[in-house]
Amino acid sequence: MPPFETSDADYVAEFSFAVEYSGPPVTYNLPCAVPIKVERIPVAAAAAQVSLSDKLSLPVVQPLLAPDPRSKKFSKELKTLGSDSSTLVSPTTVIAFDRNNESGRDCKELELVSEATVSPTSVIAFEEGNTSNRGYFRSGELSSSRALEFSNGHYASGELCDIANSSREFGFSSISHEHSPELLGGAGISSTIEFSDSFDKSLGSSLASRVSCSQKESLDTNNDLSQADWVSTESVSSFDYPSSQVSSMKIVDGNNESKCDLIRTPVVTFRDFESVDAFDEEYTQDASEKRMPQVKGKKGSCYRCFMGNRFTEKEVCIVCDAKYCSNCVLRAMGSMPEGRKCVTCIGFPIDESKRGSLGKCSRMLKRLLNDLEVRQIMRTEKLCEANQLPPEYICVNAQPLSHEELIILQTCSNPPEKLKPGKYWYDKVSGLWGKEGQKPSKIISPHLNVGGPIKPDASNGNTQVFINGREITKVELRMLQLSGVQCAGNPHFWVHDDGSYQEEGQKNTRGYLWGKAGTKLVCALLSLPVPSKFSNSCGEQGSNIVNRTVPDYLQQRILQKLLLIGYNGSGTSTIFKQAKILYNEVPFSAEERENIKLKIQSNVYGYLGILLEGREIFEEEELIELKKKHSSRIIDPSGNTGNNDDKTIYSVGPRLKAFSDWLLKTMVSGNLETIFPAGTREYAPLVEELWNDPAIQATYNRRSELEMLPTVASYFLERAITVLRTDYEPSNLDILNAEGVTSLNGLACVDFSFPQSAPDADIDAADQHDSLLRYQLIRLHARGMGENCKWLEMFEDVGMVIFCVALSDYDQFSVDDGLPFDTKQIRSI
Amino acid sequence: MSVAELKERHVAAMETVNSLRERLKQKRLSLLDTDVAGYARLQGRTPVSFGPTDLVCCRTLQGHTGKVYSLDWTPEKNRIVSASQDGRLIVWNALTSQKTHTIKLPCAWVMTCAFSPTGQSVACGGLDSVCSIFNLNSPMDKDVDLPVSRMLSGHKGYVSSCQYVPDEDTHLITSSGDHTCILWDITTGLRTSVFGGEFQSGHTADVLSVSINGSNSRMFVSGSCDATARLWDTRVASRAVRTFHGHEGDVNTVRFFPDGNRFGTGSDDGTCRLFDIRTGHQLQVYYQQHGDNDVPHVTSIVFSISGRLLFAGYSNGDCYVWDTLLAKVVLNLGSLQNSHEARISCLGLSADGSALCTGSSDTNLKIWAFGGHRRVI
Repeated sequence: MPPFETSDADYVAEFSFAVEYSGPPVTYNLPCAVPIKVERIPVAAAAAQVSLSDKLSLPVVQPLLAPDPRSKKFSKELKTLGSDSSTLVSPTTVIAFDRNNESGRDCKELELVSEATVSPTSVIAFEEGNTSNRGYFRSGELSSSRALEFSNGHYASGELCDIANSSREFGFSSISHEHSPELLGGAGISSTIEFSDSFDKSLGSSLASRVSCSQKESLDTNNDLSQADWVSTESVSSFDYPSSQVSSMKIVDGNNESKCDLIRTPVVTFRDFESVDAFDEEYTQDASEKRMPQVKGKKGSCYRCFMGNRFTEKEVCIVCDAKYCSNCVLRAMGSMPEGRKCVTCIGFPIDESKRGSLGKCSRMLKRLLNDLEVRQIMRTEKLCEANQLPPEYICVNAQPLSHEELIILQTCSNPPEKLKPGKYWYDKVSGLWGKEGQKPSKIISPHLNVGGPIKPDASNGNTQVFINGREITKVELRMLQLSGVQCAGNPHFWVHDDGSYQEEGQKNTRGYLWGKAGTKLVCALLSLPVPSKFSNSCGEQGSNIVNRTVPDYLQQRILQKLLLIGYNGSGTSTIFKQAKILYNEVPFSAEERENIKLKIQSNVYGYLGILLEGREIFEEEELIELKKKHSSRIIDPSGNTGNNDDKTIYSVGPRLKAFSDWLLKTMVSGNLETIFPAGTREYAPLVEELWNDPAIQATYNRRSELEMLPTVASYFLERAITVLRTDYEPSNLDILNAEGVTSLNGLACVDFSFPQSAPDADIDAADQHDSLLRYQLIRLHARGMGENCKWLEMFEDVGMVIFCVALSDYDQFSVDDGLPFDTKQIRSI
Repeated sequence: MSVAELKERHVAAMETVNSLRERLKQKRLSLLDTDVAGYARLQGRTPVSFGPTDLVCCRTLQGHTGKVYSLDWTPEKNRIVSASQDGRLIVWNALTSQKTHTIKLPCAWVMTCAFSPTGQSVACGGLDSVCSIFNLNSPMDKDVDLPVSRMLSGHKGYVSSCQYVPDEDTHLITSSGDHTCILWDITTGLRTSVFGGEFQSGHTADVLSVSINGSNSRMFVSGSCDATARLWDTRVASRAVRTFHGHEGDVNTVRFFPDGNRFGTGSDDGTCRLFDIRTGHQLQVYYQQHGDNDVPHVTSIVFSISGRLLFAGYSNGDCYVWDTLLAKVVLNLGSLQNSHEARISCLGLSADGSALCTGSSDTNLKIWAFGGHRRVI
């Protein structure tokens, strides 16, 4: 195994390298080894842009549709930087430096954290991928090198580099075998980590967040074994890092410190990306907000082709503010699944300052694309999830909103328009809404369960007059006075959403604020809000969650899917209909009812047909019996006597006989359903006569002998006459009992949400919080689905599967035997 | 004739059929002296070779939020319709990689979609057992959703595949989980003929795929879970013209060879096969040996316009390009730069053969085409 041996040798070299460090410090101009404090990172980020622009003046064409273009960018930068900085270090050594250098408490902590967060994913991914490789590397020279390097015996950091190494080396060895020897020879440089190193060097340690992005993603690609990406990065790294370069570097003492400095950031970034929770939120927000494009061309040029100047028309990325000329915009932005964003910015929240321009199309796009395409882009731009206002940016009554609250706020009947991030106050009783410290700006729907309780100083008033516990501003006081409200003695008012007001602690309403025509005029003069026209009805609408339209992206998230599976007659359709009747306000539309009615009627004809068939059988049996009796009694077989005795209890008159024969014939030919909707009127009286006929009644009494007759048949047959009338309206109970109302084949689904919990039910807060949750009951008809379950993967996202087995089937094995099989398969999801 | 007697005769008949089938198989084997690859090798053919830029991913169509299940190109313009687990059909402009229509489906469980020959309408089908037709020119309602212009209902199982009859916007063939294929008249919304079913000699399991012969639109093949492919004549619905045995697993996909005399199949047994519809012979098996026991299923296949290349998507995420003559894998799209991150579920070739579109479980579609500069001779 020659490659391994060489790598072994290299590692040995590295150790000496690592140990070497304790010698003389820097001769090199470095972004010095400031211990990185987490809090300082975002601050430094602002400065980063400057260093970016003057450092990276080399125009490098970047392939834009790469899955991870950022890492590629880094690699490019690396190329440019590699020559002058020549700070190429294997991560293991660097970490060792780090430890030597700092040996401070915080450094150790950082490493500890990073180890804890990173290692599980990468190691697991690696194990899945190639155990043999891992076994070799981990147990082999790597572990030994680690042991040597970390003479302090800090195992945690060793773990980290071990992982970094192993995942990287796996990537190499699995993808391009011809490359792996030289790469291993090159001291097993982790390409990803290095990118960030050199990048960092140019930036200082500031843009840690950016680096962490790239790092995380490149680590991810390691884990996912995304081969293409590896190939791309590898191709760069392989000629960038010949082993000679590494060895030459070892000579340069002065670089040591820079190396350790450089690499420390990745250690930090590991941590802050993997453990976002541990970090303060502020930082992560900053990190995501500060997505800046890398300007490489001259100012004002296109960010992709570096042509043009500031006067050429350009489209702007709504996340990172990158500008592209008309030639490049489609390439740079791809298919714009979230609107006008660079391909690399997809998934990131937008720049809040550009919120106003969402969905507003530029002339350039209109020129490039046709109407339909532009409309699609603008629609997704407005509606896609990543572009929605982050709820934590909005504070209502000094409390940041949650997702649900924001939805409530935005979907209420009278929402605050053009909501921007900021702090607001909201008077739940009257619906007044305004910016914190300012007078009210709007009256929105009242009684929304949003934010905390209102504070007295919410609008920063100083008038000593209170409305609903808020000290009002001078302007409002003026309005009250002008509209004739007695405000002497610093009263505390209680204003309702309909404008009626009363003094606190008193029951009688003092008057209506909006009663006078003048009030609104005064409000308009003082630029105070007046209630909108719809505000009267909003009380009811606010509570009616079911009918509220919810944006698409939310529907995906809050939908809980329940899969209902069972064979014919196992009750799935009954459960389904129950759900429909219980949770839908209008369970069945008029059209559906009409269909159901026809279905029920043709079903009843079907039952009748079965009865008639039974009647014939019974009649025949009876006749045979009679004949037997006859033959025993009268020996001569003359036809005359037989004719008279044909009359049995099961016989019917000739007219009914003709009808029943016809009915049976149509049933046999299978076109009962096509004839019957039209024929109902014609035959209704006949059916009545037939049903009242003693022969049918006699047959009906023996219905248990008719196997074909379903159990629900008696429910309808007993009411056959009413059912078969043309003006028959099926009741919910009828529908529930009816067979075949839900489509027998395939699938039906109904969406419902549990109505707002009844006040007496002791439901805890968690349940009420879920009031936005919707459920989708999907009924699958097992028979129509076939045995092969090719459709199974479609239901990977269902939360619950309900199997139905008919109790009455317990002795009918032919129906049952498919079920356990099916069940097993479903479980295999 | 009593029931017992009937049963006896049935068993006997079944035995005869099976023995005859076995004899047929033997005879075929004895007659089949070579396969395509063997012959091509004898003729000294060499496999097609691919340069690094001969097939590159040049567009990524992002926009679905669920797995992409199916896609289809328009015959004349560069548009693609794709169906996804998120319950949407998206019509793409392949040149600009932009969406032109997003259609939210009434039933989210869609399995297949197809573009009409004129590009005016799209059809889709899924677990609701209905094939829905959307007219792209019809005005959108307020939600920018297209209304269903026609529902073709009549299947008793899920609609697994649909394809328009070439050059006719009014006829469509669907295959279904109810073991049948149906030829529809779209203008009336009624079934013209039903292929297979209870009393006919049709498939004995779910039909998963259909492909209509490009040069003779009266013939089509269907592939089914009964491990067979069947050739049908639309004028003779009662019985299949020919049944092609050979696969050892569900036939997931069938696709006619461009010349119309052959067709390819892809199956759960990990093989693709090439059959000749005139002789009924199996011409070639395309199978790549894998080390482990896990044989990846073939999810979708498509032939290049010349027929020399066969693109086959596998459930493990590979997408091999086979040289149909020599039965050699000449390229694996799954290992190229910018390839999909998950399994490739559907493939489609543009009408002029210049581009290949792949749809994947990673919610993206990618368009592959020649990416370099053409050599000047």
